[in-house]
Amino acid sequence: MTAPGPGSPLQTSTQTIAGIMQLVLLALVPGIAMATWFFGFGILINILLAGVTAIALEAAILKLRKKDIRLHLGDYSALVSAVLFAIAVPPGSPWWLVIIGIVFALVFAKHMYGGLGQNPFNPAMCGYVLLLLAFPLEMTTWHIPNEIVNSAIRIDSLGIGDITSDQQILSPFSWLGLQQSLVLTFPFIARNSQQLIDGLAMATPLIEFKMAGHSALLTAWDNGLSWFDRESATGWELINIAYLGGGLLLLYKRIISWHIPFSILLTIGVISSLFYAPDSAAIYGTPYLHLFGSATMIAAFFIATDPVSAATSNRGRIIYGILIGTTIYSIRVWGSYLDSIALAVLFGNFCAPLLDYYCRPRRYGHLRRGLVQRPNQATEQHREKGIGEL
Amino acid sequence: MSIANKFTALSAWRHKLRAHATPGGIRPKAYKKTSLRSRIMPTPIPGLLILPLGQHQGTAAEALVSVGDRVLKYQTIAAAAQSNSVAVHAPTSGTIVAIENSPVARLANNLNESQLCIHLEPDGKDSATELYPESDYHLLDHSQLLQRIADAGICGMGGAGFPTRDKLQLSIDHKIDLLIINAVECEPYITADEALIRERAEAVVQGAEILLAATRASRCVIGIEDSKTDAITKLVAALKNSSVELMVIGTKYPAGGEKQLIQAVTGKEVPSGLHPADIGILLQNAGTAYAAYNAIILGQPCISRITTLTGLALQTPKNFETLLGIPISFLFELCGINESARLKTIIGGSMMGIEVSNTAVPVTKTTNCVIAGCAEEFPSPTDEHACIRCGFCATACPASLLPQQLLSYSKSSDHQQLQDHGLFDCIECGACAYVCPSKIPLVQYYRASKSKIKARQASHAQSARWQNRFQFHQFRIKKTADDTSNKKPRDTPAADIKPKLEDFSRDEARRKIADAVARVQTRKSKLIASTKNANSNNGNMPGVEE
Repeated sequence: MTAPGPGSPLQTSTQTIAGIMQLVLLALVPGIAMATWFFGFGILINILLAGVTAIALEAAILKLRKKDIRLHLGDYSALVSAVLFAIAVPPGSPWWLVIIGIVFALVFAKHMYGGLGQNPFNPAMCGYVLLLLAFPLEMTTWHIPNEIVNSAIRIDSLGIGDITSDQQILSPFSWLGLQQSLVLTFPFIARNSQQLIDGLAMATPLIEFKMAGHSALLTAWDNGLSWFDRESATGWELINIAYLGGGLLLLYKRIISWHIPFSILLTIGVISSLFYAPDSAAIYGTPYLHLFGSATMIAAFFIATDPVSAATSNRGRIIYGILIGTTIYSIRVWGSYLDSIALAVLFGNFCAPLLDYYCRPRRYGHLRRGLVQRPNQATEQHREKGIGEL
Repeated sequence: MSIANKFTALSAWRHKLRAHATPGGIRPKAYKKTSLRSRIMPTPIPGLLILPLGQHQGTAAEALVSVGDRVLKYQTIAAAAQSNSVAVHAPTSGTIVAIENSPVARLANNLNESQLCIHLEPDGKDSATELYPESDYHLLDHSQLLQRIADAGICGMGGAGFPTRDKLQLSIDHKIDLLIINAVECEPYITADEALIRERAEAVVQGAEILLAATRASRCVIGIEDSKTDAITKLVAALKNSSVELMVIGTKYPAGGEKQLIQAVTGKEVPSGLHPADIGILLQNAGTAYAAYNAIILGQPCISRITTLTGLALQTPKNFETLLGIPISFLFELCGINESARLKTIIGGSMMGIEVSNTAVPVTKTTNCVIAGCAEEFPSPTDEHACIRCGFCATACPASLLPQQLLSYSKSSDHQQLQDHGLFDCIECGACAYVCPSKIPLVQYYRASKSKIKARQASHAQSARWQNRFQFHQFRIKKTADDTSNKKPRDTPAADIKPKLEDFSRDEARRKIADAVARVQTRKSKLIASTKNANSNNGNMPGVEE
């Protein structure tokens, strides 16, 4: 079917896809800033690498598909996918990991299905899951340069003058921290083998929380530590709060509806409360940590709400959220994967078309289940009597 | 006061003032203030009036005049056709100079951009025929009331232009409980009803009472948007001694849609595929009520209407009480148009209006608004992006459809799914296309799909009919063949039958025909004679239809 010519309505709103995507990117900024503060430049390098690759890839594919490059590149959708993917990939991952993921996300998960609006699965999460299956070791190791306290690195070899102590704690924002991050991502720029350190290999932070038991924010508060001190281990909670803030901005701007985030968070909250007992917190985790640990907030507000692959009616969205919330909790607690956002979202994507079909809203003038209302009884009787008293 | 009484009073208050919630809707920029600065202005008489014969929905009227005839103001120059039609009257005195096809603004579902129009050259004297005002409409019975409204040539003044008499006639075979006067006027730019009520609220209320009598409903409610504060104040004052009620409705588009207003006022929904009259409700526009007031109380047929002239290309936007048939370019001149700035000319509002290319088109009974739009208000449409299923359209849809799903099924021409998803419940209000961030002309897709489905259904019905006929034909052939084969062989050989056919005589046949004609003629003449007798005996007895 070809696009029809102009006609009513002649007045349209000023909101555009580009505007929506820009707002999504803006809403991601606080969370990214917080993550950078706690985990160093790695995340920014990921974003930069994924973003540049994504834009170049998108332009190339649009050219191959003979589409208007400026029009379609101008919708920022490739950039949003790239940023969401880059946030999910561990900081300090080698460059080829990021590029493999983004190529799979854009080429295979998005454009092979017909481009924006046609992809049944969330591209960023497809890229992530491919990496998770193909490179499990790289994908579960976080390289955090500021933790290189006891590493055997000789600072002098980095060619930076006055730091000599092996015990020096590096700030991720120092020149050295940046260099460290760059070396982690691009190992070939290291001038000697000794630079090829991997910082502290750290498992996905949820493990830490499983053991921790209760809020690091409260602990830090009790101990008189600053929340923004990297030593007080409040990173994940603050990052989640920052993403929650960004998500609330999107809700306030009505870019996303409340149905998906609300049902995901409520489901996780309810299920984790049901299984919670103080003595089994080490196994099941506390509800608080399920909500504010790991990547729950970013999943609820930014990833599961990707409208293209999510359910589209409001009732459908609620069920979609419940499915994702249940899956997230189940994989975390009973599954082998430590974090499960991507798998849960893909599972939701699988169910979305069915939800769309069965969760259609009741239409004006129809009863539920598609029945058609009949005229009211008075009218029927009136009709039976025939023409009125004229 | 007992608790029960208090409760009743409370619920009555609720019933009276609170509108029911309706789903969806949008709040577009309204652009209404500029045209409301001025009072309603009369128009001077232009050099030529162009009066289309089909200003309404339905069958066009039939011209009663011919070129060269002199006509007086209010004279009927075209009579309504049998049904679903309204008459046309001369807006001023003058000479008929032509009856020919001229460009007109098309009605919503009529694609013709030109139609037969009577061209009237005014003589400037404005001499009128005699009018028969009826200051007390209670003296007229229901059929007389309907007849007067029909004679005045009134059709729905809100834009759809359904012949008012035909709508009111629904009250004969339906029990109407509630008449709703639609003064919501939710579309951007249009202020005709608001200006009308602000200045002539008493007339509108009287018109509503007349329509109430014409529908024999028990209640009448005027629905109006809460943003029209001046008009509400005037209406409250005018309604003091009236049984007509007022309901103030939240401002959003399309609150004034027929189905949406019924939902807001009663909480009921019109069942899909049925008319509001089937649930005992009729809607009339405030402008129609005013026309009914003019027709009954003043005796004036519909020769003018209130039309909003607005848009950034006009220096002084305002409402006119314009004569029908005035070319819109003439009205533009009156408002001081900046021709170089005018980008679009729209008849109707910006949401459901129709763009016209020719400013020589005349004002008709349905022209509630004319917009001379600038590039500033109507930026050129950007390219269509892909649908990202953001669901803004579903939030905006007043019929609770899923426009994003309808779009994908429209693109894949999945007619079954389109019907399952309620394509035919779409009222084409355009709220979905307004909010769409991808700038997809959704309504155009739906219109195209609707006409495709209708064409397909029609062709299916036709082929089914032909198939039936063919099958019957084959059955008959087989039956005849069976009958002949079952019959015992004829006694006489076939060759003997032939001469029988030659028995046929032309003279014989002619005689028979002449006999039959004579029989019919005698019966006819008898019938006419008996009718004449009956008429002379009893004047009120209706004549026999021939």
